[in-house]
Amino acid sequence: MKAAKIANKHPKPAPARSGKTPLPRAAKPAATTADPDVTKADPKLFDPLTPGEIADALRTLTEDRRLGTMAKVGRYRVICTEPLVVKPPHWMAGHRLVRVVAFDYAADRTVEACVDLDAGVVAHLELTQAQPMLSRDEEALAVSIAMVDDRVRGQLEMGDVPQSTLHYWGRSPDDLAFARRSAAVVFGRSDGHASIVAVVDLLENIVTQVVPAELW
Amino acid sequence: MSNVISEANWKFHWRLTESAGIMIYLADYRGRRVLWEGSLPYVTIDHQHETLEVEGDPGDVHGPWWVPLGTRTLQGPVRVQSFRGGVELSAAFAAGPYNYTQLWRFHDDGRLCPWLTIYGPGIHDQHTYHPHWRFDFDLDGARHDAFERFEDKRWQRVEHEGWFPYSGEADDHGNVWRQIDFGSGAAINIRPHSWDDAEVFAVRYHDGEWAPYSPRSAAGVQTFPAAYVGDEPLDGDDVTLWYVAHVHFSQSFPYTAGPWVKVSGLGA
Repeated sequence: MKAAKIANKHPKPAPARSGKTPLPRAAKPAATTADPDVTKADPKLFDPLTPGEIADALRTLTEDRRLGTMAKVGRYRVICTEPLVVKPPHWMAGHRLVRVVAFDYAADRTVEACVDLDAGVVAHLELTQAQPMLSRDEEALAVSIAMVDDRVRGQLEMGDVPQSTLHYWGRSPDDLAFARRSAAVVFGRSDGHASIVAVVDLLENIVTQVVPAELW
Repeated sequence: MSNVISEANWKFHWRLTESAGIMIYLADYRGRRVLWEGSLPYVTIDHQHETLEVEGDPGDVHGPWWVPLGTRTLQGPVRVQSFRGGVELSAAFAAGPYNYTQLWRFHDDGRLCPWLTIYGPGIHDQHTYHPHWRFDFDLDGARHDAFERFEDKRWQRVEHEGWFPYSGEADDHGNVWRQIDFGSGAAINIRPHSWDDAEVFAVRYHDGEWAPYSPRSAAGVQTFPAAYVGDEPLDGDDVTLWYVAHVHFSQSFPYTAGPWVKVSGLGA
């Protein structure tokens, strides 16, 4: 399937920004132009996606030739799919849109896409070094990796269980989790007392740090 | 349960998101559009070490972490309840030693309270919560807006995107920031909680700069929303506001963070 081509004649003039690239958009209207009527937005466009809509969006995304390598290697995870609503006067206003976020482990990058279900195309695609939230699968994987690590097992106390798994990144370049996708698994008792924190590198699937909770 | 609520002079829609708690969208007050979309994209948590030795203080050894507030951490149903003079939505979220109750309260006098009650012990006492709210106000339409902050005893127009911390100054009603619609003269007034150590990021709206699925933009660079801030003009355009609180844990918890937001100038 051929991806939609978007004319980007009016890029956003903000070179200082280090954040995300804005979606190509319609030209800014002159000051005298009437304000596009956002009050006529269809609330149904915000409705949760159906299983069929999610499947449709993911099929469209993985068939996009720009993601051919990712789809072929198959070492990626879909993090999130949610409805997206674009304001008028953007040309996609009024379309049923899906925002898909995936993490491509093979390329160590985030894929963020806007899939236009009405047109059947990937209308917007960003490949970045951003780190989206952990998927549920990644949370479960981090726990399973931590549970079999000898250093973790050696520090667990009677009654300790995994309490929660959090998306973590290091503050210092010396920390492996500074640039690599990582999770922190907090272990503790069911009454809420935390005992240890295990940092799991999700690219290599190894535990990189085990820290007593009081020293975190 | 319907996701459209018409009560207390408000009509709004809501939905539970994957990571940004309860999202409110297409909210009208007295029949006039106020909000395109508002949510709580994330609450990050930093940890500190308690030490009396200044020279030996290692600072924050570890980076922040966070867990999505959404379907996977929801405890029980989202509740919709009327109270005298308004209606509120609430939802409880739990992630190990961290617990939250998200609130959206709508008052018939035009007040709107996006709040977050924080409780739970954490993994130790020395930690700070940073809830981030994102508001895309479309007061009487998306464009023709301006952003102002109260400074030097008067309201001052902010011409460009930026970061605007609460300096301690506020107008007679406690408001520190406001978004004004040129056409109608209506305003969204934002009053921080005194103990929130709050700040507001004002960013020009762009498609593609939706609420991110993580505060983390890339290694070694600014997190969101700071990564969205450039030097673009705000005057007369569509403005997105982020309200960020910084709440250090104490034994007096639970603590409820978040601003008072009041709509004015839309008439009776």
